[in-house]
Amino acid sequence: MDLLQGTLDMLVLRTLLAGSLHGYGIAKNIRSASNEALDIEFGSLYPALKRLEAKGWIASAWETSEHNRRAKYYKLTAAGRKHLVREHSKWSDFVRAVGRIMGTLPEVKG
Amino acid sequence: MTIRNRLKYLWPARRRREEREMREELTSLTAIAGSQELGNLTLAMEDVRASWGWTWLESIVADIRYSLRALRRQPAFAAVALVSLALAIGANSAIFSFADALLLRPLPVKDPAAVFDVTSTTPDNPFEGMSFPDYRDLRDKSRSFSGLAAYRLTTLGVAANPAAPAQIRFANLVSGNFFPVAGVTPSAGRAFLPDEAAQPVAMVSYAFWQQKYAGERSAIGSSLRLNGIVFTIVGVAPASFTGLDRFALPSIFVPLGMAQRLAGEMTDPLEDRGRHDLVVKGRLSAGASRVSAQAELAIIGAALEREYAKTNRNRRMAVRTELQRRIQQSPHLLALVKMLMGLVALILIIACSNVANLLLARGRARSREIAIRLSIGAGRSRVVRQLMTESLIVAMAGAAAGLFVAYGGILLLNMQSVPSDPPFVLGVQLDWRVVQFSMLAALGSCIFFGLAPAWQTARTDFVTALKTGGDGAAGKLRTFGRDLLVAGQIALAMVVLIAAGMFLASFRNILAEPPEFRTDHLIGMDTAPAALHYSPEQTNAFYRRLVDRVRTMAGVAGVAMTEALPLSPSQTAVSVAPEGYQFPKGREKEIEFGAAVDAAYFSTMHVEIKRGRAFTDDDRAGSRRVAIVNQQFAKTYWPGQDAIGKRIRVESMDGMDGPAAEVVGVAKTGHYLTVNEKPAPFVYLPYEQNPRSRMTLIVQSTGDASALATPLREAVRSIDGNVPVFNLRTVATLYESRVTDTWLNYSQMVGTMGFIGLALATTGLYGLVAYTVSRRVKEFGIRVAIGATRRDVVWLVERRGLMLAGVGIAIGGALTAVAAPMLWASFPGLGASSPALYALVALALLTVSAIASYVPAQRAAGLDPLRALRNE
Repeated sequence: MDLLQGTLDMLVLRTLLAGSLHGYGIAKNIRSASNEALDIEFGSLYPALKRLEAKGWIASAWETSEHNRRAKYYKLTAAGRKHLVREHSKWSDFVRAVGRIMGTLPEVKG
Repeated sequence: MTIRNRLKYLWPARRRREEREMREELTSLTAIAGSQELGNLTLAMEDVRASWGWTWLESIVADIRYSLRALRRQPAFAAVALVSLALAIGANSAIFSFADALLLRPLPVKDPAAVFDVTSTTPDNPFEGMSFPDYRDLRDKSRSFSGLAAYRLTTLGVAANPAAPAQIRFANLVSGNFFPVAGVTPSAGRAFLPDEAAQPVAMVSYAFWQQKYAGERSAIGSSLRLNGIVFTIVGVAPASFTGLDRFALPSIFVPLGMAQRLAGEMTDPLEDRGRHDLVVKGRLSAGASRVSAQAELAIIGAALEREYAKTNRNRRMAVRTELQRRIQQSPHLLALVKMLMGLVALILIIACSNVANLLLARGRARSREIAIRLSIGAGRSRVVRQLMTESLIVAMAGAAAGLFVAYGGILLLNMQSVPSDPPFVLGVQLDWRVVQFSMLAALGSCIFFGLAPAWQTARTDFVTALKTGGDGAAGKLRTFGRDLLVAGQIALAMVVLIAAGMFLASFRNILAEPPEFRTDHLIGMDTAPAALHYSPEQTNAFYRRLVDRVRTMAGVAGVAMTEALPLSPSQTAVSVAPEGYQFPKGREKEIEFGAAVDAAYFSTMHVEIKRGRAFTDDDRAGSRRVAIVNQQFAKTYWPGQDAIGKRIRVESMDGMDGPAAEVVGVAKTGHYLTVNEKPAPFVYLPYEQNPRSRMTLIVQSTGDASALATPLREAVRSIDGNVPVFNLRTVATLYESRVTDTWLNYSQMVGTMGFIGLALATTGLYGLVAYTVSRRVKEFGIRVAIGATRRDVVWLVERRGLMLAGVGIAIGGALTAVAAPMLWASFPGLGASSPALYALVALALLTVSAIASYVPAQRAAGLDPLRALRNE
């Protein structure tokens, strides 16, 4: 499934709301949370992480993983949280609006 | 990303740190997830780097690094390319700075492009100055200019106190708005106030302030005697403002309203509409153009013509750019500049061909490297860009080194001096304009020589290149291009050498030809009693007393007077109307060289009288007016007729309406301003009938002429201690500096160019022949193996070099046949290019080419056939 522009950022922020994760963990998380519907390539996710970090919405630090491996963990910053709230309400407005138009599809002939 | 964030990443250390972090992080993730799972990380990293926003810069830096490494690997190539370019760009920059000083440098005013020159013109004189009343009318009526300023260049006798002998200095008499219109603010003190238009106040130049007052503030408010009048210094012009004339830098600026008192005239020159001696510069107002200003001034000029028919008949107003003025006023300088710039441009082309040839040879050797880069996915444009970067680096390094060469050249050019007092300044300097010019020349060269290898690369078929190990396609065609370049170099070198030869030949002729006047045992001395506002009668009496006194001095064999010594840089001119001469329509007089001389002049200076007689003491103020013309004058105005007895009207204080003078003698034509001028008409007038305010005394010595300098100074002091004495020098010194030195300088300049051109072209030829030998090792091996002698091989290589030289010489000969007549036309006095000169230059080129080819030929002949064949 292709993602709309900017949606990936929102997904990452939303995923990190639950707690800090390393880059690959974020990708895995999005995949499983969407029931495998969103298989985001790490190659596109990683530049997005760096972009978000540069904007100051997420921060990173080296930590040790559950399997005792070092990895860089990303967590949401206060600014990121604020941005997520803003984006979230924009998103739900958008979904509602589209939903009103689309509704349930009447029987379409053809 | 915000600008601030972006700028953080400009710092390379920051990018390196991020890069390290990124790699570390991705390595750790690979360990956790496996590389399969993570996909194309290289691309991901590239994306991240792109988000830092400096990849373009990085790639340029990478290109530069790569280029530097490539250049370091081939130091011989780098050195030859650098030296070629440094010599050529240096020569170009030096000549540019010379051209800048002669013609091109803008006025030292604010926004010089908006300042235009306004002259009044008549059919007789397209460059007549403006009269003050005309100027005043233009200034008040024109709307095209935000300001019109007028000034006059003059010399003043300057003294700090009444006891000190005055020194002659250049000065500008300026209108009140002169400094505001120029946009020049004083560096100390103030400019002139509106109510000081006729007050004895002065501004001094920065140089004068430094020299006479050591830059002390106390100079402002102190007094200065100018032509015997006490002036108060009110301000100092900034160092950057050296006046509006190129070679005569004023030390003093005084209000125009002081003109009458400074000159000691009976009438106010500012009220004389017939007196055209002001230079007018105008700053265009916003919205006006030269064309619109010209149109407006034409209307005002026509109105003035109607109103003042006597003075303004046929008088037009012309608005010119400064450059137009300079070019139209001194076409010989333009010719000189064009010729020199043309010759150095040829040298630049030769140098560029050299570098292009080297790059092509190198490109061939590097085609394998480039093929590899292409095959692993580098875009062709990327490879071309990298090659252009290399060329640009070579060009810029050449320009930088060239500036040192230019500096040396400028030092040489500045040694050229015009012996004059006050000095004329040529002012060749290495300034920002020259640096800009060098950079432009480098850029232009880079495009010229960089395109060839880039084009070659764009055509590289990398499959073939990889297979054959560097020998790409179309080998024949490529050497043809390179042959053409080398032949072209030789052709251009031939043009430059022949030009140099023409200069050297004329220099030799000049040295061989004695001057038309005596130079030994003579000393000249200028005095300016007018600087003390003597009346004409007082001046006349002063000169009579001076001549009488000097005549009785020990060691003096004779004394004469003239208005200007022949070949001195300040020649005088007169307006003449020769009897019976049919003027072109609308014209009524011609301006020719002329001088007032006394009766002793011809015998003292040994100026030969061909027909008739010299002046005598009987040619006095009240007697019949007479004149002597030179042969050229007679030939020009009375062709095929006897000049003796003809009459000439000469312009005097009363215009052209005075009594005509009768020609009583014809003098031999000589050189008057420069030794390479075309034969010019000249009129001699008897001093007693044409009194002048400033004369040069010529004293003939029995012994060493220069020993008379001090006694002559004393003689002037004994009559009036305040009369300035200047230009005290022997005639031999003047002649030498004006003839030998100047001509030597030109010959050196052009000779150096010829030498550089020859050296560069030879290097090019050598490079190509050596390269060909290295490409044909196998062929030579076979030839030797099947019995070719050493001599056969040498001849084989030599033949190629000589053939290239031969073709080059043929092309060069044809080019010179076209160029030489232009040279003669632009540079009078230049000897014709004789067949002997062509033969000599051709022979020299062939010899040098043979030597240049001999070195690689020797190498080819020395090849061991077995090794040569195995080498493949």
